[in-house]
Amino acid sequence: MLTDQPRYRHLCWAYDDPAGFMTHAVEFLRAGLAAGERVWFVVSGPAEPVRDQLLGTRDFADALLSGAAQVRSLDGAYGSTATIDPASQVTAYRSATQEAVADGYTGLRVAADATELVRTPAQRDAFARYEQRVNEMMRTEAFRAMCAYDRSRLGEPAVAELACLHPEHNLGQLLFRLYAVPLRQGQTALAGELDPSNHDLFRTALDRADLRPVEDELVLDAHGLRFLDHRALIHLSEYARDRHATVVLRAARPGVARLAALLDLPDVRVEVAR
Amino acid sequence: MRTGAAAGRTGYFHEAVCYGSDEELLAVVVPFLVGGVEANEPTFVALGERTGNLVRAALPADTKVEFLSGGDVYGRPTAAIRMYRQLLADLVADGATQIRIIGEVPSLGLGPTWDWWARYESAINRAYDDWPLWSMCAYDTRTTAPGVLADVAATHPCFATADGRHVPSGDYVAPETFLRQVRPMPPDPIQAAPPLVDLLGPTAAQARAAVHQVGQGGLPDDEFDDFVVAVSETVTNGLRHGRPPVRFRVWVGADRIVATVSDAGSGPQDPYAGLLPSANGTPGGLGLWITHQSCNHVTYHRDAEGFTLRLTAGRPLGA
Repeated sequence: MLTDQPRYRHLCWAYDDPAGFMTHAVEFLRAGLAAGERVWFVVSGPAEPVRDQLLGTRDFADALLSGAAQVRSLDGAYGSTATIDPASQVTAYRSATQEAVADGYTGLRVAADATELVRTPAQRDAFARYEQRVNEMMRTEAFRAMCAYDRSRLGEPAVAELACLHPEHNLGQLLFRLYAVPLRQGQTALAGELDPSNHDLFRTALDRADLRPVEDELVLDAHGLRFLDHRALIHLSEYARDRHATVVLRAARPGVARLAALLDLPDVRVEVAR
Repeated sequence: MRTGAAAGRTGYFHEAVCYGSDEELLAVVVPFLVGGVEANEPTFVALGERTGNLVRAALPADTKVEFLSGGDVYGRPTAAIRMYRQLLADLVADGATQIRIIGEVPSLGLGPTWDWWARYESAINRAYDDWPLWSMCAYDTRTTAPGVLADVAATHPCFATADGRHVPSGDYVAPETFLRQVRPMPPDPIQAAPPLVDLLGPTAAQARAAVHQVGQGGLPDDEFDDFVVAVSETVTNGLRHGRPPVRFRVWVGADRIVATVSDAGSGPQDPYAGLLPSANGTPGGLGLWITHQSCNHVTYHRDAEGFTLRLTAGRPLGA
């Protein structure tokens, strides 16, 4: 489920093979160098061996020497591998992005293996909240990221909790995505398919996204929403009611409007795509 | 204060008018409607075009009867129940002490899709019983099949006759009994061909993807989207509440798509499933209720193999 969203690129990459991840991360960062961005490769172990490896990799030797490319350990980039504080981490990346721009780069691009940061449920909860906050930060900052997770160690369900909060991911079985979009489109986009197979995940994702009403409305960009069932729609209604707001599904398929009319949900408004 | 033959009753008084001539129909309907208007009761006609015009012409000028478009009201049974329940609730909230309606199932519903209208006729004995409604359902005995008329007798507690009598139906059975009866489910002729999709134990997402892969044929976008909703809900119910294996099959004809979902279980226990929103949180009830409003025919069957639900989108057989 990889889509082309050049301005708001936040990619989740689940990997089973560290070598395969390395290949994708290098490609992702190389594209950043070509675009004039500062790039960080954030690794879970010591930085030096990876730096040495990159020195022999095309396009990276000069960049590592000039500071355009940097290899950092998780502790260096995220403060510690304990449970992260979402707000502080977003602030740190915002500052680093602004610093990169001040230094003449077009932005900051990070490929991070965050596996060690999401091993426990509490860590995942905090990190998932961070993922949504960083989506919001990307509205205004020239920041791009690839968040990589070792599926063989975390398991698919744990990775799915994080992947669904990215505009792009490589989990074939994960049906939906919820991520902040430019405000003119709404507070968040809801894309893909919602049915009982992912209802619990959807509830968790919504809780972690912690959407805040604007003028008593929670506007969800639904143009990429291919399917949602009555359970998801009822849950959205309850979520909005708990926040004293109306949920607006903007640019939705006409079938969503028919379903909402059948259910007669007072806290849901559907605006059909024209 | 109830009036006419419904005086002294509470709840729903549900009668059938089985007429053999237009004169017989008018002999029952005109006094019924005029009586309602004279008693200041909200009075409605929801007949098809021919019978509607017949009644309109026979009524005294300026009779304050409201004509509902029979075709719109009786598109799908569950939607009709939803519409009428809302109408009745609104009228009673406005002070109505009795509401009178003459209606008829459209001729399309008297053919191969009659089974879901038979279930409608039975279910409304309860579904409308919250309100002081007196209604008559008109059936033309010249054109209505004997099997349908037998169901009419089993689902209407009373017959209104041309000579002004109100005769209890000796064959009436309570809806909880009628709705639990196993009805035959003759195959749609397009089921004679091998199905284009035949999946064992698909997820709802796989079933939706299979339907999209088959394509919508000549179906309008909206109708196809609603069919996908119905497929998803039905497969979900099979997986969640049925017994494995769940089998999903799809056939495509020139003007319709037919899907069946079967499992080894006995199907929903709630006799009103599909016709009314889930009662007391009955498992799967809301999904089946939505399904009944997303297709042009929904029917089901129980046998030794288990439970099968069949969905038809597009132009159903007999239309």
